[in-house]
Amino acid sequence: MGRLRPIKIEDLLQRTVYDVDEEPHIEIIKQEGVPKELTKLCPCSCYSMVGERLLYSYEGCLECGLCRVLSEEWGLKWTYPKSGRGVQYRFT
Amino acid sequence: MASNALPGKFDVIVVGAGPAGSAAAYLLAKAGLKTLIIERGRGAGTKELFGGKIYAAPLREVWPELDKEAPIHRWVGRERISFVAGDRVSTVEFKLGRRVAFTTYLTEMAKWMAGKAVDAGAILVDEVRVDEIVVRDGKVVGVRSGPDIVEADVVIDAEGVNRMLLEKLGLAEKISPDQVALGVKEVINVGKKNIQEKLMLDDDEGMAWFMVGDVTNGLPGGGFLYTMKDTIALGLVLHVGKAYEAAKKGLLEKTVPQMVEALRTHNFFSKIWGDADVLEYGAHLTIEGGLRFMPRKLYMPGFLVVGDAAGFLLNTGYTIRGVDFAVYSGKLAAETVIEALNNGGPTGENLKRYEDKVKASFIYKELVKHRGIEKVMEDPLFFTKLPALLNTVFAKLYEADYEEPTLLEAVTSSLEESEISLSRFMIKMLSIMSKL
Repeated sequence: MGRLRPIKIEDLLQRTVYDVDEEPHIEIIKQEGVPKELTKLCPCSCYSMVGERLLYSYEGCLECGLCRVLSEEWGLKWTYPKSGRGVQYRFT
Repeated sequence: MASNALPGKFDVIVVGAGPAGSAAAYLLAKAGLKTLIIERGRGAGTKELFGGKIYAAPLREVWPELDKEAPIHRWVGRERISFVAGDRVSTVEFKLGRRVAFTTYLTEMAKWMAGKAVDAGAILVDEVRVDEIVVRDGKVVGVRSGPDIVEADVVIDAEGVNRMLLEKLGLAEKISPDQVALGVKEVINVGKKNIQEKLMLDDDEGMAWFMVGDVTNGLPGGGFLYTMKDTIALGLVLHVGKAYEAAKKGLLEKTVPQMVEALRTHNFFSKIWGDADVLEYGAHLTIEGGLRFMPRKLYMPGFLVVGDAAGFLLNTGYTIRGVDFAVYSGKLAAETVIEALNNGGPTGENLKRYEDKVKASFIYKELVKHRGIEKVMEDPLFFTKLPALLNTVFAKLYEADYEEPTLLEAVTSSLEESEISLSRFMIKMLSIMSKL
């Protein structure tokens, strides 16, 4: 058996079940209050840089809370999804 | 939450149908108290993620029927630790003499525990996110979700590691990066036969396997593997503060998902699963140094905090205990509430007895005994130098073509090459062992 190839995060997240809410439960309010390092550290790569701006897309969020810990309270609005929406873990 | 669906007032509201919340709710309902569990997920368990292993004894104190009824996957019969340095891997394996802990999906286990609470008479309301603990005149009187308030004599906070409610209540500061680690996990569909043959396991026997060294890209933390019935839970635990520091300095080559993929495709470990499907990918925060995470107080009038939210988790590097601590704290909270409601009400003074019970229990004793363990785990000597050293020693012993060194020669020359002095190494090892 040769070396295995890694699965890209976009494909990996397809294995996890979500019921995505219509509105985001996490939002960047002020760029300066949210570290750019989240592009490396977020376990679902929900953070990406577009030019100089950090963008967040909530669809693949695993609700771990890492970005809340690393961000300023005034920089990031962080809540859990409402009405049972969001990630639906089955085997964890 | 439609308030007309929940008439009247409850004796107790439990926030969160995880292990701590459901254990408390089960015992409260069993004692005849009107108990409401509020869960943000779709049914209990859908937001749960852990490594894979639960110590059974504390759970049996709440549910003596555990072994017969719970969704146990495998009883841990083998514990392994591997020290990884490049292509070299040194592994220690211990075959246990008796059954102490089992592997499972916490998603299934939480569902079972919440089911027990409901069977005992508790009401479980899911898909409801609690936004605030309601306080009146210095006393907790209920919870708020959106515009709706539900009242109770006591609120038990079992919200988990992201304790926003506790922060809002003023009992805990915002989490600092040094207090938590990030757990990331892949569930791989290896198949029962493969698991048992490749890891030499009996039918219901399981393995817990920790990896230290070149699996975390120089970050404090480690890898883990737990065998389930048909799948393997594989993942990493990474110290958040140190990972953030490394990322700021530009020292992180890989993203966190790439690090987990590097472990799954690792030439040594991947022999077990090959290209088997990944069924699920997830992440969750866990606690580093439980005592530092404990809130200032575990109670206030009409209020108790249990489980992860209270900091009840121990990570020693070779084992993680969280679910059993959570369940046991739920048990202590339920006992305290029952006593208080039968004897003067849920005053601060009466509920303080919960804190006394926790401090007299194995939870607090364990946390105190291993106090400072997180400092050891953050020490590069532990997670980088020690694995490298071990593998250098074994390489000298086993990779010699002609003349093998004596063990002493191998150790001293390896220490020299690693630029660690023997005396410093011995002192460090003693201090590490005193905390592990």
